[in-house]
Amino acid sequence: MDQEQQPDTHARLAPGAPSIDSSRIAEVSLGTARADLERREQVFHVGDLSVAYGGKLALDGVSLDIYGNTVTAFIGPSGCGKSTFIRCFNRMNDLIVGAGVEGVVQYHGKDLYAKDVDPVEVRRRIGMVFQKPNPFPKSIYDNVAFGPRVLGQKKGLADVVESCLRRAALWDEVKDRLEDGALGLSGGQQQRLCIARALATSPDVLLMDEPASALDPIATAAIEDLMHDLKREYTIIVVTHNMQQAARVADMTAFFSVNIHEDGKGRHGILVEYDATTKIFTQPADKRTEDYVTGRFG
Amino acid sequence: MSRKARGRLFVGAMVLCLAVSFGTLGWLLVTTFVDGIPGLTSKLFTAPPSTQPDEAGARPAILATVYIAALLLLMAVPIGVATAIYLEEYAHKERWYNRLLELNIQNLAAVPAIVYGILGLAFVVRGPFGIGRVLLAGAIILTLVVLPTVIISSREAIRAVPESISQGGLALGATKWQVIWRQILPAAIPGIATGSILALSRAVGETAPLLLIGALQYVAFDPTVLGPFTALPVQIYTWIKLPDPEFQALAAAAIIVLLAIVLTMNAVAIFLRNRFRQNW
Amino acid sequence: MRVEYQERLHLLESSLQEQGTLCLRAIRGAVDALTTQDLELCDEVIAFDDEIDDRYHRIEKMVEETLALETPVAGDLRLVLAVLHNSIHLERIGDQSVTIAKLTKLSAKFEPHHELVEGLREMGDRCEEMLRVALDSFAERNVERARSLVELDELIDRTNHRVTDKVLEMAATPGQQEWGMRMIIVSRCLERIGDNAVDIGEQTVFLATGEFREFVDASH
Repeated sequence: MDQEQQPDTHARLAPGAPSIDSSRIAEVSLGTARADLERREQVFHVGDLSVAYGGKLALDGVSLDIYGNTVTAFIGPSGCGKSTFIRCFNRMNDLIVGAGVEGVVQYHGKDLYAKDVDPVEVRRRIGMVFQKPNPFPKSIYDNVAFGPRVLGQKKGLADVVESCLRRAALWDEVKDRLEDGALGLSGGQQQRLCIARALATSPDVLLMDEPASALDPIATAAIEDLMHDLKREYTIIVVTHNMQQAARVADMTAFFSVNIHEDGKGRHGILVEYDATTKIFTQPADKRTEDYVTGRFG
Repeated sequence: MSRKARGRLFVGAMVLCLAVSFGTLGWLLVTTFVDGIPGLTSKLFTAPPSTQPDEAGARPAILATVYIAALLLLMAVPIGVATAIYLEEYAHKERWYNRLLELNIQNLAAVPAIVYGILGLAFVVRGPFGIGRVLLAGAIILTLVVLPTVIISSREAIRAVPESISQGGLALGATKWQVIWRQILPAAIPGIATGSILALSRAVGETAPLLLIGALQYVAFDPTVLGPFTALPVQIYTWIKLPDPEFQALAAAAIIVLLAIVLTMNAVAIFLRNRFRQNW
Repeated sequence: MRVEYQERLHLLESSLQEQGTLCLRAIRGAVDALTTQDLELCDEVIAFDDEIDDRYHRIEKMVEETLALETPVAGDLRLVLAVLHNSIHLERIGDQSVTIAKLTKLSAKFEPHHELVEGLREMGDRCEEMLRVALDSFAERNVERARSLVELDELIDRTNHRVTDKVLEMAATPGQQEWGMRMIIVSRCLERIGDNAVDIGEQTVFLATGEFREFVDASH
């Protein structure tokens, strides 16, 4: 066959570029490789952390790194210390009498537990949302404005309130009734209000301790969608007892389990496996992880 | 006896108790009103006491009671609330001195008022403070009488604020004091107000300690804070002792005024409680 | 709600359609190479199968992740399963095209029998049409159109029989036996492509109705 008469044979079989951009696949797919995530900024570094309450060990020997603009999930059975662990990131454990933290927790390279670090400042930069929505018994506006107000901001509050309510996907529902009491909102709305409130102090990290466990499925889905959006600007750590939720929202997942002491009395939590979520749910490295995610645990 | 019959018997016993208590109260009120209504004239409020019953009034006593109530408000509430905040929010519950403090407050609430009178006589009227037999002394002693109650009810009100509120506030970067001042206290105010007003309304009726520290029984001039004084309960006591039946009638009228003051304070307390009650 | 999850499902389906487009090109290439005896085109078709296999592996990985991470149910689950099945069928179609191209190369030294080649070209056109119909009806969830694949398959089967008969006729002529045998296998490959297209149609019905039923009994 004369080459000039026909077009290039490649072109005959596969004209132009493939219709699917492969980078789009990587973008949408939650199966981002751990290697890609590790190239991002390291927001937290945890080294051999242990926590004890009144001398009783609750969590032992945890080491991991949290990467920027990711959602990291902590999963595991009850009593494994995941809530204790997340509270180490904003020094909320300081408020519990008799709580002792050993080991290293670094935030952007700085030791969070150094003597000259003010826990109040830590909590401004690392926000927290709790399991049961806990809006203040004030108006919606005053709830969101509380954080900036206690930090001394007097002007520009209305803009901050609007921007945070928008980011929490609540603005459209409450923009006409900002002066109404926050306790009149539904559970899902209250939780989004708590998220907006946490965003008002311009943190760069958001800690969420089982944020959707008190909500119905629709409200839960709204919170999960919110996490997808928020991770573009914030780094999110979420504790969840719902494995499927971790699978849906998280980029990295840490599985904690319980170690029972040899003498039979006492138990404490340990970190078993920490990897990209895809890996944890398709090919976990540790048998304990496999047993837990397949539901054979216990 | 069948279960139903037993139940009915129990209900009957309860109704009987209610009848007795309300009946007694009702009878007291009715007789007081019957005796006192004729005496409720403007003279009661404007005229000072006099040996002539048709000229006598209770003006100094009423004013003094009002002043005492105001002073109690200014002294007992801040001290009581501050103590309650310290005990609930700052004190380490395990420390021995705090536990001692807790125990003592419970005890102090039960101490008879006259004991406070003796204390006041020794330390306030005479002794280190030595301000003499003045209105302020009476107010100080009554403050001590009501302080334990104010502390206890304020603590209850503060405790009723869920911990999730203070956790939420602290997690936002507020200091402990900011959380107390901006979240806990505002939420606890209805409870604090109710408790305080109820305590005050009891104090307003206290007679024994005032008598002990020298509330005068015959005061013809308007009272001042640092001057000799009397109070409505004392005035009532004075008049009742007199043989003249017209003074008895005046006493009854004064009792009605005292009851009115106390009931008004209670009504305000109930109103505040209902209006601002927080449904957590 | 679940925006990223919806995007994933769309991506799965469009990846499948893309793999289907590649298969259409592969069939077209193999048939053209056969009818025009273009050996370079045959090599292209053989090399091109890597692309089809690569798409299949990517889809398989995406299906695994979607099932593990999103736990789809109901229609979404049927979609994911149908995509997986169809991807396998498309991969098979790719393999059939490679076989056709390899056989074309092997029989290049022989003189082709034009009527037979014409019959095979007709079958090839029909295969391409069937795959197009299968892919379109899947995209549209069109059950009627999917069922119409059965009739199209009949035509291919009949042509397959005619080819076999023709080759048996040619059996007497020396030099044409080997070529004829190879062409029977080519015909069989095209017939298998048709069957795979029908299987894709069955998945469309499964996706739309939740029931899986073979259109026609396989014993024919």
